[in-house]
Amino acid sequence: MSFREKSAWVMGAIMLATGVFYAQLVAGAPQAPVIGPLIPYVLAVVVFSIVAQVGLAIASPKEANAPADERERSAIDRAGNWSGVVLGFGVVSAIIMYIGGWTATMLVHAIVGALIVSTVAEYALQIYFFRRAV
Amino acid sequence: MGKRPPITNRVRELREEHGKLSQAALGEAVGVTRHTIIAIEQGRYSPSLETAFRIARLFGVGVEDVFGWEG
Repeated sequence: MSFREKSAWVMGAIMLATGVFYAQLVAGAPQAPVIGPLIPYVLAVVVFSIVAQVGLAIASPKEANAPADERERSAIDRAGNWSGVVLGFGVVSAIIMYIGGWTATMLVHAIVGALIVSTVAEYALQIYFFRRAV
Repeated sequence: MGKRPPITNRVRELREEHGKLSQAALGEAVGVTRHTIIAIEQGRYSPSLETAFRIARLFGVGVEDVFGWEG
């Protein structure tokens, strides 16, 4: 497994786990101020991401410092393109729900949720394209 | 797996002819990862024109001596 695929697995898992954590925080107090669940979520993502990337870089320092090659760049670009579609769908859906009566708080949570889902989708697609060889 | 590109190659054969050059060493010499060389050899990935030329030049042959069109 290449360094970038390992990185995608680890980051995908972190985004999924922290996304579930965020969903639990929101479900516990859906109408509480947005900043309440957002701060611990962002802190968790930042801390876990740094720890994971440092761990991966220590395990494979040469690969960690090498730039993505043409096949990896293509896989990353294609995954990013499709995750943008997922994000757009989520954001438009959230806006429609807001027009239909959701509060501004729920709108923000839905947009953050769409961002989390699109990021998880991006890492999952990167893994798929890396394995498919693009 | 995706549709295989209709391009054949002799990369593995040329590697073995050149003192069993490793996939990692070839990758490093032409600027791609070992995994990309593996994907090229297995016919799952068609390299860019630049990488194709780099591989051919490394082996001292023309691009058409390394890569061909299937059929």
